[in-house]
Amino acid sequence: MKTDTPPPTNGQNVQTPLISLKDIVKRYGDLTAVDHVSLELDPQERVVIIGPSGSGKSTLLRAVNFLEEIDGGAIYFEGREVGYVEKKGRRVLDKPKRISQLRSEIGMVFQHFYLFPHMTVMENVMEGPRTVQKKPLQECRNVALDMLQKVGLTDKKDIYPATLSGGQKQRVAIARALAMRPKLMLFDEPTSALDPELVGEVFDAIKTLADEGMTMIVVTHQMGFAREMADRVIFMEDGRFVAQGTPTEFFENHLDSDRIRSFLERSL
Amino acid sequence: MALGKLDKAVQLFKTIPRPESGESGKLFVQSRMQLARVYYAQEDLDKAAAACREILAVYPDNAEATNFLASVEKAQKPWYIQFWQDTVRFTPALAKGAVMTFVLVVVTMLVSPVGGLLVALGRISTFPPLIGLCWFFIWIFRGTPLLLQLFFIYYGLPSMGVTLSPLVAALLGLGLNYSAYLAEIIRGAIQSIDSGQMEAAKALGMTYGQAMRRVIIPQTYKRLMPPVGNEFIALIKDTALVSTIAMVELMRAADQLFNTYFDITVLVLAAIIYLLFTSAFTVTFEKIEKRVGAYENRYTPSH
Repeated sequence: MKTDTPPPTNGQNVQTPLISLKDIVKRYGDLTAVDHVSLELDPQERVVIIGPSGSGKSTLLRAVNFLEEIDGGAIYFEGREVGYVEKKGRRVLDKPKRISQLRSEIGMVFQHFYLFPHMTVMENVMEGPRTVQKKPLQECRNVALDMLQKVGLTDKKDIYPATLSGGQKQRVAIARALAMRPKLMLFDEPTSALDPELVGEVFDAIKTLADEGMTMIVVTHQMGFAREMADRVIFMEDGRFVAQGTPTEFFENHLDSDRIRSFLERSL
Repeated sequence: MALGKLDKAVQLFKTIPRPESGESGKLFVQSRMQLARVYYAQEDLDKAAAACREILAVYPDNAEATNFLASVEKAQKPWYIQFWQDTVRFTPALAKGAVMTFVLVVVTMLVSPVGGLLVALGRISTFPPLIGLCWFFIWIFRGTPLLLQLFFIYYGLPSMGVTLSPLVAALLGLGLNYSAYLAEIIRGAIQSIDSGQMEAAKALGMTYGQAMRRVIIPQTYKRLMPPVGNEFIALIKDTALVSTIAMVELMRAADQLFNTYFDITVLVLAAIIYLLFTSAFTVTFEKIEKRVGAYENRYTPSH
């Protein structure tokens, strides 16, 4: 089990990580929410981050998408350092255009869905390709229908989100993110706001995506994600990666920390 | 007793004879007019009319008697006939004024939301000079009376070398004032939208402008309708203030007619026209409000 160090590479046949976080620090006043955390994801790799509330896992995830501005460290996307530039000796967020461009390659799904309530399901899913990628209308429609089919909601395409169940909303949110054909998907507690009986359908949608080889980071309390779709499970606490490993290592062998054991016991 | 004296006066007026030809009829005309007024005051309309006709029998062109007789004859009719006749008489002038009021209202309604949106976006921007400028704009135009602003623009600016026509001054004053009010309403509406909406839009790769235009601002429409409707109803009535800067709109037209005829019907008619405006507007706005909010809980079958 490793802590805080990226997995070593064997020098030859090195695959460029899709995304690489180096020594990320995020502070809120005196509180250090993310404390020198590093993480690398190869294409098609699936990382699940678990940990108690306030451990900094959501903050870290949001930093990947520049929704949180980091105070230290660097973010590499496809080998290039991205997101921040030096300006008058201070590090600031890159030009909005470039940040938007980066975000358009990274899909994000939120705990509270944040569907656009004034658009139908179809319009929600079309919005990214239409407004951001400026694709022709017909192409946007086709993409949207494909994505809705993927999450099994084609029959709801002309409905406004207000009438959908939580599980359906989250599946639409997933379709909306996928319509941008992202290289990386970020899931921020995708099932935490759902009634227990609705967790399954969202879980299945994400599982399908994982099986198709989507690179993803999932922040969750739901152990199912860690068990069934993770290549790597990371336990985060107090802004640091306390432990990480494969699901097998994680759940069966390396419960050496009382803290992790008690967290898992409560969560299972 | 006063009434006794008045009766004596009436007797006295009656004794003054018709003038013989070549004789001055001044005293005769004055006496009969006085009689007519006294009878009118006593609501003895037939006798008042008779007094006027006595004058007209000798001097058919006497304007004073003709006008007074018209008033008396009008007063002899039932109130609704009187009201109808006044309506016919005053409506053309009032309608002209109403058209101008309508123009002022419509132009301000089109201009001030745009101005308000720009100022609101400035207020919530991250560029301190712009924030300060927009704050200052709102501070000035919400903090001083509209009447004073209109005076300043129309009577004050010429001393700085800027002379504006009444219409331009009126539109400028109303536009700036209402932009300031709407700016704060729009800012409130924008800030009331869940911040997650902006994050979701940004996460899709939208720029701030795209997110505002496509996601945030469309969601404010429903929330904006009630307070903006209120403002626009206030606007319809506030246009009356521009009557003070030589604009002939509804209020000014009514004022002019009232000062000429001292007829309260003019004011009633003006009030009715204002009510028509505000009612038509309220109904229209309620319809729009229902339409823009339709996505909340509407089910549109796909088949």
